[in-house]
Amino acid sequence: MALLELPAWTTLAPALLLALTALVLFIIDSISPDAQNSGLLAGTTAAGSLASLGVAVWYLLAGVGTPTVDGGRGIIDVLGDQFVVDQLALFFMIIVAVVTALVAVASYDYMEDHTYQAEYYSLVLLAATGMSFMAAANSLVTIFIALELASLPSYALVSILKDNRGSVEGGLKYFLIGALSSAIFVYGISLVYGATGHLQLENIAAVIEAGEADPYGGLLGLGILMLIGGFAFKTASVPFHFWAPEAYEGAPAPISAFLSSASKAAGFVIAFRVFTEAFPVAETASAIGVDWTLAFIILAIVTMTLGNFAAATQNNVKRMLAYSSIGHAGYALIGLAGISAGGGELVMGAAMMHLFVYGFMNTGAFLFVALAEYWGVGRTFEDYNGLGRRAPVACFALAIFMFSLAGIPPLGGFWSKYFLFTGALEAGLIVVAAALVINSALSLYYYSRLVKAVWIEEPVTERDGLSQPVGLYAAIVVAAVMTLALLPLFGPVADTAVDAATAMLA
Amino acid sequence: MEDVFNYAPAIALFPLVAFVVALTFGKYMPKKGALAGIIATGGSLALSVLMLVAVASGEVYHETLYQWAIGDAASEIGADGIEFTFGILIDPLAALMLVIVSLIAFLVHIFSLGYMNAEGETGLPRYYASLGLFTFSMLAFVYADNLLMAFMFFELVGLCSYLLIGFWFRTRSAPSAAKKAFLVTRFGDYFFLLGVVAIAATFGTVAFAGDNSFVAAAESAIDNGDTLFGFGAETWVTITALLVLGGVIGKSAQFPLHTWLPDAMEGPTTVSALIHAATMVAAGVYLVARMFGYYALSPTALAIIAFVGGFTALFAATMGVVKDDIKQVLAYSTISQYGYMMLGLGVGGYVAGVFHLMNHAFFKALLFLGAGAVIVLMHHEQDMWKMGGLKDKAPITYYTFLAGALALAGIIPFSGFWSKDEILYDALIVGLEEPVILAAYAMALVAVFFTGFYTFRMVFLTFHGEPRSEAAEDPHDIGWSIKAPLVVLGVLALVAGIANLAPVAKLAHIDITFLEHWLDGEYGAVEGLTYSAYGELLAFETAYIGGEQLTVLIAAGVSLLLAFSGAGLAWKLYSVPEPVAHKERLGGARQTLESNYYQDEYQVWLAEGFTQPLARAADRFDQTVIDGVVNSVSTASLFSSSRLKRIQTGLVTNYAALLVAGFIGLLLVLGYVGGWFL
Repeated sequence: MALLELPAWTTLAPALLLALTALVLFIIDSISPDAQNSGLLAGTTAAGSLASLGVAVWYLLAGVGTPTVDGGRGIIDVLGDQFVVDQLALFFMIIVAVVTALVAVASYDYMEDHTYQAEYYSLVLLAATGMSFMAAANSLVTIFIALELASLPSYALVSILKDNRGSVEGGLKYFLIGALSSAIFVYGISLVYGATGHLQLENIAAVIEAGEADPYGGLLGLGILMLIGGFAFKTASVPFHFWAPEAYEGAPAPISAFLSSASKAAGFVIAFRVFTEAFPVAETASAIGVDWTLAFIILAIVTMTLGNFAAATQNNVKRMLAYSSIGHAGYALIGLAGISAGGGELVMGAAMMHLFVYGFMNTGAFLFVALAEYWGVGRTFEDYNGLGRRAPVACFALAIFMFSLAGIPPLGGFWSKYFLFTGALEAGLIVVAAALVINSALSLYYYSRLVKAVWIEEPVTERDGLSQPVGLYAAIVVAAVMTLALLPLFGPVADTAVDAATAMLA
Repeated sequence: MEDVFNYAPAIALFPLVAFVVALTFGKYMPKKGALAGIIATGGSLALSVLMLVAVASGEVYHETLYQWAIGDAASEIGADGIEFTFGILIDPLAALMLVIVSLIAFLVHIFSLGYMNAEGETGLPRYYASLGLFTFSMLAFVYADNLLMAFMFFELVGLCSYLLIGFWFRTRSAPSAAKKAFLVTRFGDYFFLLGVVAIAATFGTVAFAGDNSFVAAAESAIDNGDTLFGFGAETWVTITALLVLGGVIGKSAQFPLHTWLPDAMEGPTTVSALIHAATMVAAGVYLVARMFGYYALSPTALAIIAFVGGFTALFAATMGVVKDDIKQVLAYSTISQYGYMMLGLGVGGYVAGVFHLMNHAFFKALLFLGAGAVIVLMHHEQDMWKMGGLKDKAPITYYTFLAGALALAGIIPFSGFWSKDEILYDALIVGLEEPVILAAYAMALVAVFFTGFYTFRMVFLTFHGEPRSEAAEDPHDIGWSIKAPLVVLGVLALVAGIANLAPVAKLAHIDITFLEHWLDGEYGAVEGLTYSAYGELLAFETAYIGGEQLTVLIAAGVSLLLAFSGAGLAWKLYSVPEPVAHKERLGGARQTLESNYYQDEYQVWLAEGFTQPLARAADRFDQTVIDGVVNSVSTASLFSSSRLKRIQTGLVTNYAALLVAGFIGLLLVLGYVGGWFL
């Protein structure tokens, strides 16, 4: 392979390809602004994200970003360490690209009669570009810019249904909370910079390890806490989660899928990178007087509990999924809560696996909601009654998503949750492990409620045959097949995740 | 000769094939699956005889065929790891039993042609399929080489017994009897399973034979004085041996788990002959013989076996005296005879017990088949008071039945005499040193009198005197398929005793105890599974009354005398043209006997008066406490859920306030812990 001869910046190709595709969409739209060629637009978006996916997978397999000691080609720094391409970055670039592709295919039907389709797809791609860059960002400045690049298109996407009150309202709330959170985040960056004098993650770590930040312990601690606030906003964790139920409910369902899967994953990758690279557990603890994992322990427990308990009695399916998405953020936070000096590869790897599996099962679940909205059957559980007889394939896929989300063996969601559980126990977080079990048990209640409604309950009203939109069906079926295919494939995914976590914590 | 053992699995597999064939194609076959069964059991018989010949020529077979689980398990004696396998063990004992089982199964299949097919029964494919499955399970049980495999097939024969007892499932009584048989034997099997688990956990092996057998392991544990699960090795061996004995007592219908067997007579008489007399009921006794080395390590367990056996022999015989149904008499005699076998094994008379097992299989199968023939003759009437006078109308049935009766009553020179006498002799010589055994011997001896009485009461009421009903005056025809098995078994009932003429050998000093040599491995044997090897393990002392020969004569003389007086009393009372019931002479004992000592009543009380309230209480606990906790957890969850979701007010200003409040809360906690405010 001639890979080594390529300049270093080409390793960012997965993100750059997304940006390039967005530009191509602009060109297409400039050439014929009035033509609504959904096939071309959705196809271009899907092709771009699949290209990004292919390149990321290829890099991962070729050993780009794998430490040279493990036989890889080494971690690659770009633009003077402002970006870094390693296994962690590629792993999350894959998740972002996969979700983007699924969402693009599903949107083909969902946005069929929409006026601003080119804008829609290019916003999706720009947000995806931001998320992809988040995976590779290695300095607080690039992290912030990438985060804003992901956020700003998201606000617009949520409110893209301009005639829909819920959509506009959700978008506005999302924007306001987002602005507040961004303010907190960027203030946190300035405090960390003030305490350490650096923005690049390794340099911050070097200062902390040298003990030079000790005089500013409180300042640094407050800065770190504010950074956590920024991540919590992006991952929809308590108490920065308030935007999520309304934004997810109001947004077009494919966008809900996109935000709850890809955007959440991107939020986690920056959290993983910042806290493993910039704030080594033991040294930071001696500087600020408290172990930062404590914050994540609290956030994990509160987030999963609030998400699942609030989901339990929802009547609106989309809102239930929104809260469940908050609950899953709580599960993934265990990956940060379980990190300790000299340990935590397994638990952080487990969180990555969970986000990977989640990328399929949660996207699939929201896309089913998109399908239901496309059919116009209604929003509540009762409205979904008896859909199984009309659309067995999609409803079978829904059952797979639900049971996988609930963590029923042998589905993928079970294994990632199982690893989180054992990882939490290994890290000595018995309370967190107990909360995980209790919340999973509760979650089975509301997930199976939906399966029951679809398959067992009698329909409230007679309905005619339901259409079978190609794009939505294809996306749902692919997501379901991937959720199932992860059973045999789980080994490689788990290995990659744990390798990436090990490399970060080394 | 060694090569023939390669065909050993086929002995059991033939009937399994017959089972499948009868089940799937039975409906379309000319004899509804009977032919498949006859061919299969015939094949099994031929192969079993080949095995017998192979063993006689000095070969034995002990082979693991399939290993289905292997695990690392720390056992109590330190063996690390345990294997669960299917394997075959063919030694003299197993070879002999294979021949007995396949022979009787073969004859019963033939008899069924006359008893079931000719009588136009429906559901015949089901019948033959069950018979095939039973024969498969029984044969596999017989040559199982480990305790767990034995247990599995032990359960399977129990299932077949259930299916066949309930064959006429449209009647009220048959399904009830089937359930009773299943539940009562299951109660015993529960202890058996505990025993299997205990033995596996203790010794890390469940093999019957070889250096790695649990018998050898138990022996060395006792020699080393090991402590097993907090008990001395011998005590622990006794406990586990008694647990396994639970299954034996259930299956071989010993007191107090004998109550199912008389009810099991609800099944077709052929089934009673094969399963509830000759083979399956023998499985319990056979299991004791199979692992006799283990029981021999525990004199306590042996004494319990002997005492239970002796008691059951007498107990059941007394109940047989007042029965009017011909099959009921035979059922109680079966229980009684298995009591003798248990007594024989319990006093260390391994050869005597196995000898009686063999003889009993022949003559009891004969009696049941004879009773089946009588039932056919009598147009399906089973009450002996409605019979009479069949002697002249059905001579073959009469003479073969008589041969079986003489064997059962223990009249010289029929086979039953020789084996029963040997058991009583073995019990006597041990009993002279051990009072418990002497008591068991005394009970068994008294039972001989009752045996003679009820046997001949049955013969006289059925065959002698004047016909007492229209059916008896004009009996139904019976065909060759009924007569042929009777003749074969009748001859065997007469001559099978030749196998081990121990009293003659002792008195005349001639070496004719063939069965003893056979079981002692003079032809071929697996090491450790021989009579003399067991003899070395046994701790019983023996004594004689004035020398061995005199003791032999006394034992034989007393038992013969009692048998003759029982038979003679029956002759005096019932061998008259118009016999009448003499039950009122029993006085107060009559009601007790007719009610079978109220055994069913107390067991029903145990179920209804004790177990059922307990189960109800457990159910109530489950319904109220357990379900209540579960329900209140879900109610609490849903309630807190409905509260929690109100935080989402819909007002973005509230969100911002809560967000900042939450953030400050987190800041306060971390700042407090980290000491930022100091």
